[in-house]
Amino acid sequence: MLSRRRTVTGLQQEYSDALRDYLVRPNEQALRRAYSTGRSTLSNGAGVLGIAALHHQAMKDVIPDLSAEIEEALLIKRAEEVFIESLMPFEMSHRAFREAIAVLRRMNERIEEEAKRIAHALHEEAGGLLASTNLALEELARDLSPKGTERLSLVRRLLDQMDEQLRHLAHEIRPTVLDDLGLVPALEFLADGLSKRSGLAVAVEGSTGGRLPSAVETTLYRNVQEALNNVTRHAMARRVKVAVTREPHAVRCSVRDDGVGFNVSEVIETRGERGLGHIGMRERLDAVKGTLLITSAPNQGTELLMYIPLEG
Amino acid sequence: MSLEAQVNIVNDEDVIAARQAGRTLAAETGFSAREQAMLVAVITELALNILHHAQGGEVLIHPSEDAGRRGIVVIARDRGPGIPNIKDAVEASYCVAEGLGLGLRGVKALVDSLDILSVPGKGTTVTARKWQS
Repeated sequence: MLSRRRTVTGLQQEYSDALRDYLVRPNEQALRRAYSTGRSTLSNGAGVLGIAALHHQAMKDVIPDLSAEIEEALLIKRAEEVFIESLMPFEMSHRAFREAIAVLRRMNERIEEEAKRIAHALHEEAGGLLASTNLALEELARDLSPKGTERLSLVRRLLDQMDEQLRHLAHEIRPTVLDDLGLVPALEFLADGLSKRSGLAVAVEGSTGGRLPSAVETTLYRNVQEALNNVTRHAMARRVKVAVTREPHAVRCSVRDDGVGFNVSEVIETRGERGLGHIGMRERLDAVKGTLLITSAPNQGTELLMYIPLEG
Repeated sequence: MSLEAQVNIVNDEDVIAARQAGRTLAAETGFSAREQAMLVAVITELALNILHHAQGGEVLIHPSEDAGRRGIVVIARDRGPGIPNIKDAVEASYCVAEGLGLGLRGVKALVDSLDILSVPGKGTTVTARKWQS
């Protein structure tokens, strides 16, 4: 009775039968069938609108035969009981996903905290040890022959490279400049690095008018980082402008490039919203009640506009 | 309140019997129509788990009281293979139903507490509690 593949007409039949049965004589078996129809509708992807359509059609099929025998108020009450049963799997699924999202958000926050800790350890502790090592070598160099000093300087150059690598790595994991100086300096640092690596001209302008909540700064930083990566990978752009604007109760941040752009509605139609590849950005923004607006057209570049309301 | 129900789960008739018993107990405990429907959905998913993943088991339902709150406890016990990784069963896609947010994952979202005790090779006992709001 729980075969996974049932056609819409099969499901309609099952639901209409269950409804008719229950309206005439309320019984648990009919409710069980309604629940089963809801479960099948959920797994075959027809969704909550699918079950609403089944219910509506069933009402049209069944009610005319019964309205002469059974009082209208009773029919309505019983029909609601059947409908609720068919919706329960959706309610369950909805709540389960809401919980899953909350869990993922907490995980994300923990990862960001962990990244802060690791970046700090790399930057301060490992970097500090390297600095001490360098001082010790400098002292050692004084006692060495010219030949020895030369060989030691090679070692020191390698240590310098290691220091550079550590700093780079620490910055990739979590830019300390974001924690220490705030969003705009961190974005300028990011833009600078990207310009040097890729030749893309990245301009950062605007101000946050003071520090923003840490979650908001992190969200905007990570999203701009992802947006700039997208630009270098897909847009074939020469210039990008990142603009930050503070409003009385919100912050706005846009990333606009002069690249090839794309047809937004076409991409959404053929690949769904997923096709835009902005799931991660939307998810981060959702967590701080922010919104994302994407504007683009072929040969007219792309603009991402992020808007985050601020409390108080 | 000494009423309680025990239903052996071997086929879908038994699922219906467990639902009926749960609905009656929930109504007697004072659950609203909505809360009743949620509890019945919980019982259905736990009973379907027994049908799909074990060769039989039972569902026990009884009212419960704690610090003036009234609620219902549902215990589902099977003699199946046990759940290899309980965390997976509740958090990840352990099977098709779990991936859709049904099964144990769905149950967890509808109740106030959920305990799972699974012994590989011996079976699984799931205890779900739902309080009246």
